[in-house]
Amino acid sequence: MEEILFGIGISALAGALATVAGAAEDTESDIGSQGDPNSQVQLAPQMGYVHRIYNKAISGEPPAYGLWVALAAGIAWALMAIQYNAILALIIGSAVAVFVQGVYATTAYLGRTASLAKFEQPVYIDILKSVTTVTMAHAFVAVFTTVTMCFLIIEALGHPFPLPLMGLVWGIALGAAGSATGNPFYGKERQYQNYPFGAGLPISASGDIVRYAEAGQRSSLDNGWFTSKGAGPASGICFGLIVFFELWRTILFEPFAAGWGAVIAGAVIIIVFMVIDRMVETWARKTYGPYPVEKAKEEEATA
Amino acid sequence: MSALGGGSAGGEGINPQASVIAFVIILVSVGIAFVVYPAALIPLIGIIVGGVLISFGVHFVPVGGAPAAMGQAPGIATGVAMLAAGGGLAGLFGGAWAAEMGIWVALGAGAMGGGLLMAITCLMVNVVYVYAMGIPAASGKVDKDPITGDTYDGYRSKGTEGHGLPFISYVGGVIGGLLAGAGGTLIYLELLSVYQEALPSFLGMTPEGMQTLAVSLAGIFAVGMFLVAAVLTAYNITGTIEGPHDPKFKRWPRAVIGSSAACAACGLVAILLVVI
Repeated sequence: MEEILFGIGISALAGALATVAGAAEDTESDIGSQGDPNSQVQLAPQMGYVHRIYNKAISGEPPAYGLWVALAAGIAWALMAIQYNAILALIIGSAVAVFVQGVYATTAYLGRTASLAKFEQPVYIDILKSVTTVTMAHAFVAVFTTVTMCFLIIEALGHPFPLPLMGLVWGIALGAAGSATGNPFYGKERQYQNYPFGAGLPISASGDIVRYAEAGQRSSLDNGWFTSKGAGPASGICFGLIVFFELWRTILFEPFAAGWGAVIAGAVIIIVFMVIDRMVETWARKTYGPYPVEKAKEEEATA
Repeated sequence: MSALGGGSAGGEGINPQASVIAFVIILVSVGIAFVVYPAALIPLIGIIVGGVLISFGVHFVPVGGAPAAMGQAPGIATGVAMLAAGGGLAGLFGGAWAAEMGIWVALGAGAMGGGLLMAITCLMVNVVYVYAMGIPAASGKVDKDPITGDTYDGYRSKGTEGHGLPFISYVGGVIGGLLAGAGGTLIYLELLSVYQEALPSFLGMTPEGMQTLAVSLAGIFAVGMFLVAAVLTAYNITGTIEGPHDPKFKRWPRAVIGSSAACAACGLVAILLVVI
């Protein structure tokens, strides 16, 4: 009983770390513009809209975070093997990984933006100085919390994977959850803030991203401020729920029915989430209703 | 036309010549494994089956890519291989944890791990679309949801091909996660069984001493083979797919054949690494 309670406590702690990691990951990727919405940042100058948005999407978020978290975990693992204090090892590993992230961000911004020179998009050195460090700070939070979570899963819960492999697996999952949940909010709600709320962006409007703020030109830091209120917490909840339920169902139900208890619990949790999704979908249809354009068509038809 | 002068679209048919080459690669790989280390024959077939599960499962995952990030198309706003890897590797985590419970429990745990990641991710995608962006789900490929019967005409905003995750896409995502999680776990378990048996005799180590090495090697090869199968499938899908109701779903036999051949070759290398 005590062991199960300890396991549930660790699951909750790992879930909390994952929640912070998810929120930091999404905010980092939105400030650095690394997700799919960056297609618009890259496209904008080609359509004549020169901007001051950061641009470092030379890799998807999952492989990028797989690399950084695995790197942090590998260094921490090596340091722990030579008897470093575990917390110090995790911090040093994360710090080194974040320097790699900084090099990645710098070269990606310079490379991607320089490729737009023929469309008169300048490389802004002040952006490189001010935004890169902010993405590094957010990346440190995401990487450190994820690698600490991996360490807890191995040391306290007894998962057989070594720390670097665990870091790779959960780094990729972190990037997948963060990009899936956070991208639409950054893409539609922020980059196309001047288009009507409650509708997708017409394909013909692609590239016309918002480039001006309340005063002066919009910065990527403003994007982080905006998305940290919606997409960041949503991504955090997403990744936190994934980690918590994955651990919780195993810790609590694996002793039942020769291991099948955890499988059945997983199936039940999936069905519960499926029902919630259907309720969300139905609520949206009832509350928002069909788009009014259909009524206009009907009027035209009757006239 | 492509830069090389070939056709620009992959189409849906199966190329007989390429399929024969794939089957030859599979047979040669299995034959070499049997000759070099007969005990690896069944594990290699398990690895190929794992690749088939991953490849087939990825076709179910609703991926909208960049257009989905602007609410221009339905699906999850990330890449096919990216999302499938996230789900499948979460499954691998669960399956590896349950490996001591036997292969069937481990496969079930792996499947549930992948399915759980997809179920939560798909839910949060719809939560963001509905509550943060005020956009209802609408398919761009069908007018009526095959499961719920909801009609989508009128729910697509102007100038888009739909948005969000309709229920059929949600179910597809969960099925894709289940299959991909089970496939990744199967590859891991088969490789682990080979390494646990071969490493002590070939490296002269005790079974206890080589456990970490066996788990690490099996894990990293499983991740690698997962990405091989998922990326091959992503090329077959070419861009975005809404799920099992999407016409592109019919392309799955081609990806399954390709992934089988790729996993057979990769699996052979992973086995030869420790038995030669």
